[in-house]
Amino acid sequence: MDLNYGPEYQQFRQEVRAFLDAHKDTAPNVLVGFGEGALSMRSWQKTLVEHGYACRTVPREYGGFGARPDLLKNIIIDEEFRRAGISRGMTNQGISMFVPTLLQYGTEEQKRRYIGPTIRGELIWCQGYSEPGAGSDLASLRTSAILDGDEFVLNGHKIWTSTAREAQMMFALVRTEPDAPKHKGISYMVLDVKSPGLTIRPLVMMTGHAGFNEVFFDNVRVPRENLIGQRGQGWEVGKATLIHERNMLGAADHTEDTLGRLIEVMRDYGVIDDPVLRDRLMKLAARVHAMRCHSLRMLTDRLKKRPDAAALITKLNGCQLNHDLCKLAIDAMQQDGILRRGSQYVRDEGSWQNEYMFQLGLIIGGGTAQIQKNIISEIGLGMPREPRPAAATPTASRGA
Amino acid sequence: MDFGLSQDQSMFQQSLRGYLAERVPMQRVRSVMESASGHDGALLGQLAEQGVTGILVPAGFGGSGLGLLDAAIAAEELGRAATPFSFHSAAVMAPLLLAAAPDSALRGEWLERIAAGRALVSVVTGLPAVEGGKLRGVQRFSPDGAVADAYLVAAGSGAATQLYLLPRSCSGIDVTPLSTVDATRRVAEVKFDVALDASMKLDVADAASVLDRALDAGRVALAADALGAAERSLEMAIQYALTREQFGRLIGSFQAVKHMCAEVFAEVEPVRSLLWYAAFAWDEKRDDAAAMAALVKSHGTEVATEATTTCIQVYGGMGFTYECDMQIWFKRAGYDRQMLGGPTALRERAAELVLRT
Repeated sequence: MDLNYGPEYQQFRQEVRAFLDAHKDTAPNVLVGFGEGALSMRSWQKTLVEHGYACRTVPREYGGFGARPDLLKNIIIDEEFRRAGISRGMTNQGISMFVPTLLQYGTEEQKRRYIGPTIRGELIWCQGYSEPGAGSDLASLRTSAILDGDEFVLNGHKIWTSTAREAQMMFALVRTEPDAPKHKGISYMVLDVKSPGLTIRPLVMMTGHAGFNEVFFDNVRVPRENLIGQRGQGWEVGKATLIHERNMLGAADHTEDTLGRLIEVMRDYGVIDDPVLRDRLMKLAARVHAMRCHSLRMLTDRLKKRPDAAALITKLNGCQLNHDLCKLAIDAMQQDGILRRGSQYVRDEGSWQNEYMFQLGLIIGGGTAQIQKNIISEIGLGMPREPRPAAATPTASRGA
Repeated sequence: MDFGLSQDQSMFQQSLRGYLAERVPMQRVRSVMESASGHDGALLGQLAEQGVTGILVPAGFGGSGLGLLDAAIAAEELGRAATPFSFHSAAVMAPLLLAAAPDSALRGEWLERIAAGRALVSVVTGLPAVEGGKLRGVQRFSPDGAVADAYLVAAGSGAATQLYLLPRSCSGIDVTPLSTVDATRRVAEVKFDVALDASMKLDVADAASVLDRALDAGRVALAADALGAAERSLEMAIQYALTREQFGRLIGSFQAVKHMCAEVFAEVEPVRSLLWYAAFAWDEKRDDAAAMAALVKSHGTEVATEATTTCIQVYGGMGFTYECDMQIWFKRAGYDRQMLGGPTALRERAAELVLRT
């Protein structure tokens, strides 16, 4: 057991600190995402890419920094940016999901065309995977893409599409081979969100925020060369992306901060000595510390390239824990717990209430808790899959 | 960065697991459970040969002088195998307390006897302070109290805490075995009315903090035992679900059953991670060591009682029978949960440690 990073990493940490110190006046100090502040975020993103603090391992010929993959350096960057309260740059599905997929499956021309602008934040992407009829059973998706000359013609309906209104491009899973078995009939392609026939409808979450959209395709024409990978290979290509998403959700890096803020809430509302709330607080503290230790254990496994089924629990436990931390904060506020953002007297701008609801969305999104339990029991514990009824081939003609 | 067990530690774990499976199988555990004394005379020597009793005994006294993380590995294996031995008391707290008294005449002899498997020492805390050279008081939960060769007694509280080692043979010790749910580790009520002689006192500087640290170590060991009980239950439950058929299918193919197992796994694995850290923090005397010991004991044993409860249900009606071994880990986790502070009491202890600023 050794929790030190070693001297070469100490040196790297000093470099990161020097960088942060030099840029502390120009860097955005909160994660703003899109909307107001996006412009300065974009120039910050460019600075980060240049210095290797964002998209570190993307090869130089595609506009990245070209660093050797090094998990510990990534963690040190995370730690130091968090300590300084400085934004790690843009986080969007183009950078975190599309770029790694393209590096693995894209053609040389596709990589040169898309990666540079994406990592610099000039090209924003949205993800077109889920459909109203294809949620947990994603491979049953029905949006059809029929080849007509040199173009695919798309008809169908995507849902849970974050950032569709801000994005210029979409990466999507569509059904190009209606007669093939369901996993073999899917292709992965990219398309222009401004294409004729594509309409977007905002989808308002229970928090009141339109964080998602629905996207409708009505004879949208997509050039054939926009395929990523082969026709019918889309399930394999898309799955690589999903594994990446799951690892992002439920990460333990913010829970200790949240626990600290929760303790402040309990002190300020005068309930820190309430024996029942204290007991709940310590129950959560045990889980927070357990997940922090668990993430160090998983990190060690990854460094040693040692597979461990215990990695499969991260999303299931992490999202539930975040949800439960918010729940206790709201209970600690007593009646003030019903106030939301914008109200007089609301604590922390309503972020506890907002996060409490938003985390419920994360328990569902990116593979529901129930799907996670299937994965844990089947892949981790070697239990058999639920027997399936004889598969019918879904077709676009059934409609969306 | 290397969070986890070293190669040596993993090898020790594997070797102890193999040894216990072969030499202390469930038939042997059951015969001890069903015996009047709950004591297996040959076991102590065998555990000593495997390095279990001397794991925390300094090397100069025949032990291996290892740390609490190593002891936690042993405790987990003893919990998995439901080995009838009060490890947290006899092999964790007793040697730690003895080792803290360098000038005491009794120290070397008893440390050597513990490491060699020739003495079972029961740690008894919470007795009133000694008055007029007399130790008087009762403690109900002396681990292995009826068969112990000596009692390591903590009397008085706070700055007045004193430690004594009383051989079983000294007069004025009255022992009454108590009947407990977990029959693999017995306890006894011990009444002391002993005129102390000077040789019995362990000269420990700051006995209160030494005792505190020993209790934390005992808690980590109990948490490890509970982890062993939980993981063994889960393995047994999965094994059963992959052989038992109902409605023409393996019950392990039903999501209802799979999700029970997945939930147990998802709760148990972070406990393992926390346990390793808590033991490491204790070894390194980190600032958070005491709080982590309290948290891993409270959380880990609660997870273990939930886990063993769920796994018994995977077994269905058979799981509820005495014949089925599942009940043994359920009871084992129950002992681990109540001893040295139950979950609520330990969370309050953690709260005091974490929230004092």
